[in-house]
Amino acid sequence: MQTCIKPEPSVLDEKDKKGETMSGRVIVITSGKGGVGKTTTNANIGTALAKAGKKVVMIDTDLGLRNLDLLLGLENRIVYTIVDVVEERCKLKQALVKDKKNPNLCLLAAAQTRDKTAVTEEQLKNICEELKKDFDFILVDCPAGIEQGFQNAVAGASEAIVVTTPEMSAVRDADRIIGLLEAKEEIKSYKLLINRVRPNLIKSNDMMSVEDVVEILSAPLIGIIPEDTGIITSTNKGEPIVNDEKSLAGKAYKNVAKRIMGEDVPFLNLEEDTGVMAKVKKFFSGLIGKEK
Amino acid sequence: MNDNIFTNLYNKVLGFFRQTDKEENAKDIACNRLRVVLMQDRTNLTPELMERMRKELIELLSKYVEMDKEALELNLEQDGDQMALMLSIPVLRARNEEEIEAELAAEDAEKEEVLEAAEDSDDEPDENQTEAETENEDTDESEDNKAVDIKVPDKEETSSQEEEKTKK
Repeated sequence: MQTCIKPEPSVLDEKDKKGETMSGRVIVITSGKGGVGKTTTNANIGTALAKAGKKVVMIDTDLGLRNLDLLLGLENRIVYTIVDVVEERCKLKQALVKDKKNPNLCLLAAAQTRDKTAVTEEQLKNICEELKKDFDFILVDCPAGIEQGFQNAVAGASEAIVVTTPEMSAVRDADRIIGLLEAKEEIKSYKLLINRVRPNLIKSNDMMSVEDVVEILSAPLIGIIPEDTGIITSTNKGEPIVNDEKSLAGKAYKNVAKRIMGEDVPFLNLEEDTGVMAKVKKFFSGLIGKEK
Repeated sequence: MNDNIFTNLYNKVLGFFRQTDKEENAKDIACNRLRVVLMQDRTNLTPELMERMRKELIELLSKYVEMDKEALELNLEQDGDQMALMLSIPVLRARNEEEIEAELAAEDAEKEEVLEAAEDSDDEPDENQTEAETENEDTDESEDNKAVDIKVPDKEETSSQEEEKTKK
């Protein structure tokens, strides 16, 4: 069995060299509704941050329904899970699975055989506190729903990214999640990430625009990710799309990572030209069925 | 005449490009439905409760102003980060002092009655009887209120109508 039990010293023992402890940022990625792209977002932001030289650990808290390992292509390397850590069958550092390509990136996997009650809020908080010492960013992948799994995932975090899509049900659930996050004292800030944006549908007024969603939820925006078929192939390969230099979604995710690091990056222009000529072009391309 | 032909043509061409904007599109429907449903989610106010609030407000405000009750609008709206309860009341006529005072005096008297009844029930050992009495009074009161509601637009004129109603 291929294993990666022992993390590279370069990742975890940096504090010894510096002679001081790090204090990482714990960001929970949540959405309420399932299938809007929480895990994809987690994998891509994590990978992008790691590529930018940050030390990143991702925690999958979706006990029983883990998927982050698949998106990262790490499913065969998992030896210990978060449940093994809280039940003290291994040390926290032993359970961290290092990424294939990037030594700055680690995963603490969820247990596939247990349910949400196997880990408590307190235990997750402690794990986050422990990881803060060694990593710049701790990204917590939250399960769908607003039950205990959500409460657990949020427990150790001080920031949140709410993932939604420009669809009614996703926006409604995001609103609910925002309400719950606002009630949590530990969450100091939350930002909105709008996923699966389809400029063509927005253009034809068949889909809510990014502005509509932002206005309705009145939350600050951290990213706009276009719908991209590349996501499917990247998931199939276990390779986050930020590794694909050509992908627009990958670029958008990289920009999100930059914004998290405090850079001021303008949002990608996903919309086409809005002049009369563009309309004429669209009209004709519609006639010959070659619209793109 | 030439001008007209050209403006017509111009408008037609513009109309062709604007067609999609004019009809209510899927996006607007989604936005509007979402706004309504989110207001309900955020406040836990069902349409029934909103209607009740509306009625109670009419009842309260009728004491001070004469208003167009059908046109009274009560809506929850979002104003930036804040939720706002928007009440729009078309006022038909401001009531004069005497009317208001009379209304308030009547209300105070009613309250006192209720209080007295409550005190009475405390004093009297025969509980069954007094409970029945107060219950009666309660129902009477609510009927009164409804009557007030109906006759507000013009008190003197409708008083006879009201009598007819009660007879029926």
